[in-house]
Amino acid sequence: MLKLEKRNKVDSEIPSSSMADIAFLLIIFFMVTTVFSATRGLEFQLPKEEDAAVLDEVEAVIITIRQDTKILVFDEPKELDQLVDYLVEKWLNNNPEKPVILITDPKAPYYAMVNVLDALQRAKEEKNLVKDINVGIPTQREIEEMWGGIV
Amino acid sequence: MKKVKIRPIEANIPTASMADIAFLLIIFFMVTTVFTVDRTNVNLPLSVKREEVPKGAAVVTVTIDQMMKFSGGREESFVVSSAEDLISLAAAEVAKNSLHPFVIKADGEVPFRAVDEVMDRLKQAQVRVLILLTNQKTVES
Repeated sequence: MLKLEKRNKVDSEIPSSSMADIAFLLIIFFMVTTVFSATRGLEFQLPKEEDAAVLDEVEAVIITIRQDTKILVFDEPKELDQLVDYLVEKWLNNNPEKPVILITDPKAPYYAMVNVLDALQRAKEEKNLVKDINVGIPTQREIEEMWGGIV
Repeated sequence: MKKVKIRPIEANIPTASMADIAFLLIIFFMVTTVFTVDRTNVNLPLSVKREEVPKGAAVVTVTIDQMMKFSGGREESFVVSSAEDLISLAAAEVAKNSLHPFVIKADGEVPFRAVDEVMDRLKQAQVRVLILLTNQKTVES
C-alpha cells in the first residue's frame, strides 16, 4: 500500500525582527546629520557695467557708515530707527525715485552695512512707499574712480 | 471556602504601527536634509527681510580671519588664495549663465573692506544677482 508521506510545509518568511532597529538607526542618523542652514538673505541686483547709470553724488542722498558704525545722512548723524522716516520725509515722499548711495567705511564691521541695507529694503512695505528705495552700493574702487574718494 | 482564581492582567502595548511611524520619520528627514556646498561656520549678520537663496547659487565665504572660499554651486567650496582669483572663478559661472545668483556668506564682524573687495571682484566679473546671507533678526536681537 502506498504510504502517503506527509510533506512538511516549508514556511517562507523574511525575519523582520530587526526592521525596527534599522529604522530607528536611520532616523537617528538623519536627525544628527540634518543641518538647518541659513538659506536666506538680502538680495540686490547689480547693474550691468555698460548700463550702470553714473551715480551722480549731487543727485543722490548719501548715507555714510563710519568706522564706529555711526550713520550719517549728508554729514547729519541719524539713528538706524530714524533713518528711513528721515529719508521719506525729506526726499522720498516728493521723489520716490531719488537714488540713495550707501557708503561704508572699509574699517566698519560688515553687519553695520547689512543693518542699514535691511532697513532700506524694508521701507517700501513698512512705510507704504510707492516703490522700493533705489539703493546703490559703490565699491571703494568705484568711489575712487568716480569721485576721487569720499570716505 | 472556594478559592477564586485571580487572572493576571496582561499588559501589552500594541506596536503594530511603530514601523509605519519610523518610516514616516525617515522619509521626513530624508526629504528635509539639505546638502550644502559650504559648511563653514560663520557668525552671519541679522536682517528682518530675507529672500530665499536659489538652489545651485554660487557661494563666496568670508570668515572672521578673512579667509575666502568659493563654490560654483555644484561642488564643495575650496579656499581662494586671493580676491583676484575670484574674478576668473565668478566669470566662468557667469559665462554659463549671466543671471547665475551669487551668495556672499560673510561673518558679521569682518571689516567691510573684505566684503567690499569681494563685491568689487564680482562686479568686475559681471555678476548681476547678489545675495548677502543673513540670519533672521528677531524683535529682541
